[in-house]
Amino acid sequence: MMQSSRPTGAVRLLDLTLVVIGCTLLVALFGTVLLGIVTRAFNEPLTWTDEGARFLMVWLACAGWIVAGRRRAHVRIGFFLDRAPPGLRRAVGLLTQAVLMVLGAVIGAFGVLLVQRNLDMEANSLPISAAWMYAPIVPAGGALVLQSFLQFWEEVRLRPAPADGPLGNIAQ
Amino acid sequence: MTDTIIAVGCAWLVAVLAGLPLYAAMASGAVLFVAVSGFSMSIVPQKMVNAMNSFPITAAPLFILMGNLFSASKVTDRIVRFATAIMGSLRGGYAQASILSSLIFAGMAGSAVADAAATGAVEIRAMKAAGYRADTAAAINASAATIGAIMPPSLPIVIFGVTSDLSVGRLFLAGCIPGLLMAASLMAMAAVIAGRQGFPRQRFPGMAELWHAFRDGLLALLTPVILLGGMFSGLFTPTEGAAVASLYALTLGMVVYRTLTVADLGRVLRDTVETAGVVMPLVMAAGALGWCLSVSRIPQIAAPAMVASISHPLLFLLMCNVLLLLVGCFMETLAALLILVPILVPAAQAFGIDPAQFAIMMILNLVLGTIHPPVGVVLFISSRIAEISYETLARAVLPWLIPLFCVLAAITLWPPLTTWLPRLVLGR
Repeated sequence: MMQSSRPTGAVRLLDLTLVVIGCTLLVALFGTVLLGIVTRAFNEPLTWTDEGARFLMVWLACAGWIVAGRRRAHVRIGFFLDRAPPGLRRAVGLLTQAVLMVLGAVIGAFGVLLVQRNLDMEANSLPISAAWMYAPIVPAGGALVLQSFLQFWEEVRLRPAPADGPLGNIAQ
Repeated sequence: MTDTIIAVGCAWLVAVLAGLPLYAAMASGAVLFVAVSGFSMSIVPQKMVNAMNSFPITAAPLFILMGNLFSASKVTDRIVRFATAIMGSLRGGYAQASILSSLIFAGMAGSAVADAAATGAVEIRAMKAAGYRADTAAAINASAATIGAIMPPSLPIVIFGVTSDLSVGRLFLAGCIPGLLMAASLMAMAAVIAGRQGFPRQRFPGMAELWHAFRDGLLALLTPVILLGGMFSGLFTPTEGAAVASLYALTLGMVVYRTLTVADLGRVLRDTVETAGVVMPLVMAAGALGWCLSVSRIPQIAAPAMVASISHPLLFLLMCNVLLLLVGCFMETLAALLILVPILVPAAQAFGIDPAQFAIMMILNLVLGTIHPPVGVVLFISSRIAEISYETLARAVLPWLIPLFCVLAAITLWPPLTTWLPRLVLGR
């Protein structure tokens, strides 16, 4: 397996920031769900906890998506590709990164459109625009473009990249 | 439009086999379908976000958090001590204790991988120290870990419930008896192999040690009771139960046992975000692809076609078993659920099969793939803990698949194993 270039201080800082954002969103989600239970138990249910949890869930999913992408932890089937000849493997690797770039661009660009369309709409119980629900898909798409461009560039320069995470992860 | 979705399905399969991340393959399939069919491309990100805009799905990261908190709190040490005190004096007592530990931890883990990773370190080390071969110890750990995906709380069950719009609480109850059966059948297998291979037995530790072990692990052992009790007494929903269980795990680790440090907590949060970041894009992409399937009316076409071509529900279940075992060998459990649930569940319902039975059968099929090559992610974890090769463990685990296949056959052939408890507790 090939080695990727060592991340610079700025990249490490960016990675740390992403993790901190993700952890903050997770704690906020945890707190919001608990708040819903506690206030209901005291017969003073808050109206916004369910919707707040849903907003936070979308944001957490997108933040986690970027974090997992940075760590190359996304689930993939490497069984066939890992057994392919090096030339074919490299060609497929380049094609894969190109597909990811296009996908990220589509998600990001049309995510912007979704945000614009929902700017005037208000959330049901939160005093914020419904556009906030769609906002995190834009950086997620952008990060996908950037990450796959960097990996594409690494492949072009014939710099071997580290293996992706083990197929399956923690969720089975 | 059906032709389009079939062509997209072929492209998706090629992309998956070519090593594109599974979520990206599904989302790319949706983009391709939308582009060819002439819909607005903004549907793709919209459906992806809508898949997350659901309160029940918040249970997923919170159950992952709960499992990570229990693992980091080293609760497994107490559970293994308790299980060993009970089972250790039997022949092959450590093997039996290992299975019992996995069963207990299944009530706190939420997934097979979390179960294997959390219990593996303690169980495999204990078995090796007692004279078990490393591959046998790892095989017992890996096969017992599959209980984690069936016993509540289980992340695959949450995802199944959210995807099929079924009650997660009902599905949790449906998994209880099959989970217990899996443990019982593995214990029976352990007894047979222990006799043949002459596994060692320990001296009975005495009632005092048994009481100490029980008292020491009592609060951890209460987790499933609190979780299920709270859910079915109406105190909280399964989704909220995930938050309550996480709070309980946090309190046990930081306040009661004091085995969880602030540094551990940071690592737990980071790992949870990363794991959620692996799972959630799969759900998001499946949301977009699921919309494409429903616009193409694939479930509406596939279900009557299956009913027309397959004469008996049992034959349908048999075919599903073969298909799912095959899929489970190559595909991650949650991704397979997200893709196949919208297609197979309507067909199962058309055959009059209880969705709870079908859910547990489907998950058990897919989770068996985690202890089977070529993917076998649980094998990967257990082999690393036992410091043996993946191939060695893949061979050693084969006998332990037999009892699990027996349970699969039992829940396929006899629906009450999965339907009786939910009906007893929740009614029809």
